[in-house]
Parts: sequence; structure tokens; C-alpha cells
Amino acid sequence: MTGNKSRVWSFFSSVSLTIALLAIIVLFSIIGTIVPQRDATAQLALQIPPGLFSFLQTMQIFDLYHSIWFFLLLGLLSLNLIICSINRLPQAWRHFRAKSFPENLDVFQDLSEDAIINTKQDQKVISEIAGIAMKSRFRNYQRQKTTDGLYFYGDKGRVSYFGVYVVHLSIVILIAGVVIGSIFGIEGYVNIGEGQTVNKINLRDKDQTLLLPFAVRCDRFTIKFYENGDPKTYLSDLTFLKNNQVAAQGQLLVNHPLSFEGFRFYQSSYGLTAESKASLSLFENGKKSQEILVGWGETFVLPGKEGKVNVLRIEGNLMNMGPAVKLAVVSAQGETVFWVFRHIDKIKEMNPGIVQQIPMFNPGLFRPYVFVIGGVQEKYYTGLQVNSDPGLPVVAAAAFLMFVGLMLVFFSSHRQVWLRVDVQWENTRISIAGRSNKNAVGLQRDIKDILARIKKRLETLR
Amino acid sequence: MISTKILSLVTFIYFAAFVFYLFRMTMGRDFWGGLATYTAWAGLIAQTIALVWRWKASYDLGIGHAPLSNFYESLVFFSWTIVFLYLITEGRLKNRSLGVFVLPVSFLLMAFASFSPDISSHIDPLVPALQSNWLTSHVLTCFMGYAAFTVAFGLGIMYFLKIAAAGRKGKMISGFFHLLPDDDVIDELIYQSATQGFIFLTLGIMTGSVWAHHAWGSYWSWDPKETWSLITWLIYALMLHARHVRGWRCRRMALISIIGFACVLFTYLGVNYLSGLHSYLKIS
Repeated sequence: MTGNKSRVWSFFSSVSLTIALLAIIVLFSIIGTIVPQRDATAQLALQIPPGLFSFLQTMQIFDLYHSIWFFLLLGLLSLNLIICSINRLPQAWRHFRAKSFPENLDVFQDLSEDAIINTKQDQKVISEIAGIAMKSRFRNYQRQKTTDGLYFYGDKGRVSYFGVYVVHLSIVILIAGVVIGSIFGIEGYVNIGEGQTVNKINLRDKDQTLLLPFAVRCDRFTIKFYENGDPKTYLSDLTFLKNNQVAAQGQLLVNHPLSFEGFRFYQSSYGLTAESKASLSLFENGKKSQEILVGWGETFVLPGKEGKVNVLRIEGNLMNMGPAVKLAVVSAQGETVFWVFRHIDKIKEMNPGIVQQIPMFNPGLFRPYVFVIGGVQEKYYTGLQVNSDPGLPVVAAAAFLMFVGLMLVFFSSHRQVWLRVDVQWENTRISIAGRSNKNAVGLQRDIKDILARIKKRLETLR
Repeated sequence: MISTKILSLVTFIYFAAFVFYLFRMTMGRDFWGGLATYTAWAGLIAQTIALVWRWKASYDLGIGHAPLSNFYESLVFFSWTIVFLYLITEGRLKNRSLGVFVLPVSFLLMAFASFSPDISSHIDPLVPALQSNWLTSHVLTCFMGYAAFTVAFGLGIMYFLKIAAAGRKGKMISGFFHLLPDDDVIDELIYQSATQGFIFLTLGIMTGSVWAHHAWGSYWSWDPKETWSLITWLIYALMLHARHVRGWRCRRMALISIIGFACVLFTYLGVNYLSGLHSYLKIS
């Protein structure tokens, strides 16, 4: 390895780089939650000089999490993780493969009193008891006879040396999955009116549409409300059509997406289409003078020719206060805009003085007329989110691997136990010693349990 | 509602427990320590009963769901997990010093939930996005994580108070100081609590991602809460690495446990002031 290469290598294998990269990613993420991102930038554009805005836009500050900078950081982090792991993996492998038996018998030096049992029993009986006790904690224990005694060895959890590397690998895979998703993934949305069929979706963050290789029809849209007016459920009955043939049908709910040919459909919103109609009644000095059916954008003239009424909006449930229509009366005095609520009497009762506080809620704002809604013929559209993410299985695999890795890191440990049976001053002596890479408590439990089993057997023999 | 009344009573019980822990610290009498522990247990049991009651009440209203669905319920549950984890730690540690630092957090959360005029304690029906089996597992794992980080924070504060006290001489301060556990014990407990929090936060983020994948159509949307949970996760990941690879101990661990807790609080409360998808927790 040349000096230059090894310098690059050691730079990428340093933990300081990991810590620095993680710190920069943290900083980046914080900035991303403070500076408006993507759709939210419109307001900022009006507040700062256009030059600065376009500069920041070129620097991808308004889409930080999908910017070249972010991917660069993720790439560096992956490289750092891979090189760190390559550097340290041989050591873990050595630990994993290490032969601890019959080597490492010096563990019996400096044993505490608790780890030794002396008994008058025959060595042969004791070896049998010791073997059974070892087997209870270490299924594949080994035994070996030497000139100075009989040795047993058991260990478990060798795989724990790899836990950290499994987690690191999972993060590299996760990053790969995220990158695949953001390069090849599709994020779109589409609104479909009841009975309508579409084969195009609008792409998010791009002013483009995408032609789907199939068509989607919304057969029915259903919405249910709680007593307090909050939506309880809304669902769409969808039909997927391939070459004008029905290929699949299904019901789409929030939290219950549907998949078709690699695209996933999500119920994300709903609203009234422009085809919705409202029946309006006009009262003049308390007397009903006219009743008409109006649609979005329609215009009609007031009975006394005082002005013209534009129907601006029709809502099925405005701010949880029920059906409402927004009107603009254009007259000689100018334009008067106000909302007409179906349940205005109830609203007034629950919020006394509301019409005085918010004149726009006054259905009689344009005198001498008072408008009343008889009803709204609701025609809903369903708002669907349409995604396709080829990185998804990769991300899911990474998450699973990370979970396994973390379990290995935090809940597994390599535990080794050596047990010796030898003769000293006409006594049979049992000595037990152990070692663990990170779980001294667990090791103590193993040792205590083995000792307890041996002692119990010894008592029954007496 | 009775459960809400019990919960506002729990606020005072936790305050009393805190005061008793404080008495034990300043007077050094173990009578107060025992009383503090019993009081904290009494509070926890009362709070558990109230939560179960509230759960049942939601079924009686015909909108049955676990009491984990709005800001009020999340504050109550957060304080519950903190006391729960604290009492377990106290039992393992066999030292009551930590109570002075952890109980006030629980008390403040309960006081905020019970007495802030902006927070509604109504049992509301679930909006469609929250109608998912993932709700319970996501909220449970996240708050277990938050609570473990809170315990680590309490330990961090305790550590700094201890070194501040060690620098001074004085009868009262030294009495105070003798009751605190050794540096090594504090360090080990900070590490254990942070690890516990890290595992739960990881699970919380994972369950959240799976849920987001089902509900919002994307496992990760860079919503401020998601981003801040990632920031918190990275901070604690840094902490664990610095300890294992760089051998960081006591003072630095205590410092990160405090910084990390600030991130936890921001993830929980701060992001409510930023716009995003996790708007269920908004203060009306």
C-alpha cells in the first residue's frame, strides 16, 4: 500500500470522521426543519430578494433532503461505515474463530473461594455430575482429560462479535434503498370524481403528469361523520382497468392502501367537485321571493335587479359547520362576499354574536335579501396519492437487519466457562472460571447456576 | 369525568413525592425516602387506574381506542412511563437520590396536562388517519424511549450537581453529596438508560415508518417530527459510539444525556410549532 493510499484509507476508517459526518447530518436535518422546504417556499420567495432566493434554490436549500449535498453526505457515511467495518472485521472474525480450549487454562489462576468446591466424592462421579451441570447451560460443551485433571469447556453467543457489523451493514443497505427510491420512485396524486376514469397522475414537485399503464375509475365515494361533525371514515370503491377490461376492484380507506401493477394507491383527501349544486332560497323582508338551483361559477341576477350573484364555492361541510355556499354579490356599491350556511340558526345559537363578529358569516349581508340553503347536492371527488417505490423492499430488509443487529449488540454476549475437576489433598476439587466480552452479569448467572446444580447433586449423594 | 379528576389528583401526588424525595436529600432521613417511594407508587397506581378507566370510558362512548390519541393523553402517558421506569431503576439501584431529578418532570407534564387551559381532556373520536393498529405500538415504543431518556437526563443532572457539590465545603451540601451514588454507578446507569431509550426509539421509528407507509403512502416524509426523531436517534448513536470506541465516560456522558433530552423535548413538543403531518398533538 502506498503512503497516499493508506492515508486516504485511514481517513475513511476513522471514527472521528463518523462522528463528524453524523454531526453534519444532524445540522443539515435541523436546517431542513427551519428553512421551508418544497411547497412551503412560496411565501419565503416574496419576503427575500429574488436574487438570493434563486441562489438558494440553485443550492438546493429548499429541498435539502433530496439535494446533492445530502446524498454526498450519505455516500461519505456509507463509505466510512464500509471501510471502518472492513478494517475491524478481521478482529471480530479472530474472536469468533478463536480456540479457547484446551488453551487459556490460565483462567483458573486467582479464582475466588466461591468458584471452588471441595468434596470427598470420587472423581469419576464428580465428572459425571459436572458434565450434566455444564450441559444445562452449554449444550455443546467439550471435555478433555490431561495429566493434571479433567477439563470442561462451554461457550455461547460467539455471533455477538458481529452485531455491530450487522447494524452498520443495515445502515448502508438502508441508504441504498433510500437512494433507489428517490431516483426510481414516483410520487404522484390525482383527484377522481365519482364515476370518472383517469389514466394520468400529477407528479409531486414537478409540473408534469405521468401516463399510467392502466386506468382507474372511482365507482363510489362514501363519507361518514361522527356526531361532532369530524369525519369518521371516507372510502373509495376503485376499479382498475387494463385495455378497457376490469382487471381488479377494491375498496380504498385511510390506512388501507391498494396496490396495482407496482403502484400503491392511498386515500389522502376528498372534496366536492364543480358539478355539485346547491338549492338557494331568497327572502326579501321575510318573504320568500325566489328559489333556484345553482352550481359552481354560475351567475344569476337578483329579483329586484340590484345586482348579480356569483356562486364562488359550494362546500359539503365547511369547518365542521355543515354545508355552505360562498357568494359574491356585485352591485353598484361594489362587491359583497359572504358565506351562507345551511345550519346558520344552529351556529348562531352555539356562538352568540358570531354574525356581528364575522360579517362574512351573515347570510343577510346584502340588504334587503337574506339567503337560505335548502340543500346541497354533493358530488364528491376522491383525492388519491399514487406512489411507486422500488427501494421499498430494500429499506424493509435493512430495517429487519438493523433490528437483528441491535438485538445482537445489546442482548447477546460471548460467554465462556471453563470447569476443572482435579484431586488435591485426597479431595476432589471442582473449579470454575469464566469470561465474557460484555455481559459480566449474565456470565455470573451461568456460573452460579452450574455451581448450584453441582452442589445440589452432591447433597443428594451424601 | 372521574378519570380526569383522578389524573389531576395524581399531579399533586407526584408533587408530594418530589417534595418527600427532596426532604430525604436535605435531611438525610430515610423515613422521607420510604415515604417518597410509597407516594410515587401510589401515584403510579392511581394513574394506571385512571388510564384504564379512560380507556373503558372511550368504549362506553362507542369510540373505543387506547388513551394515546391526543395531546392530553400523550402528556399523561409520558409522565406514566417516566414514573414507571424510574421506580424500576430505583428498585435496581437501591438508592433514592434520582427521584429528586426525575419526579419533577413527571409532575410538570401532569400539571401541564391538567391545568393548561389550551389542552382539552375530552375523549375524542379517532380521525381516520389514527384508526390503525399501529397507533398503540408506535406511541408505546416512542414514549418508553422518551421516558428512558428522561431517566438518563435526571442522572446527568445528578452527576453535574455532584461534581458542583464536591467543589464546595459545607455541612448541608456534604450531607446531600454523601447520599448520591458513586460516579461509576451513575455513569453505568446513564449508559443503560440511554441504551434502553435508543432501542425503544429505534422501534418507535420503525413502527412509525411502517404505519406511515400504510397511512401516508411513504415510510419517510421528512415531516419535522420524523426529522427530529432522527436527530435524537443520531445524537444517542453518537453517544454510544463515543463510549464504546472513544471511551467517553462520566462528565461527557452526562452532558450528552442532557443535550439528548433537549432533543427529545423538541421532538415531542417543539415540533408542534412547525407545520407537519403529526398534527394530532397540536394544542387546539
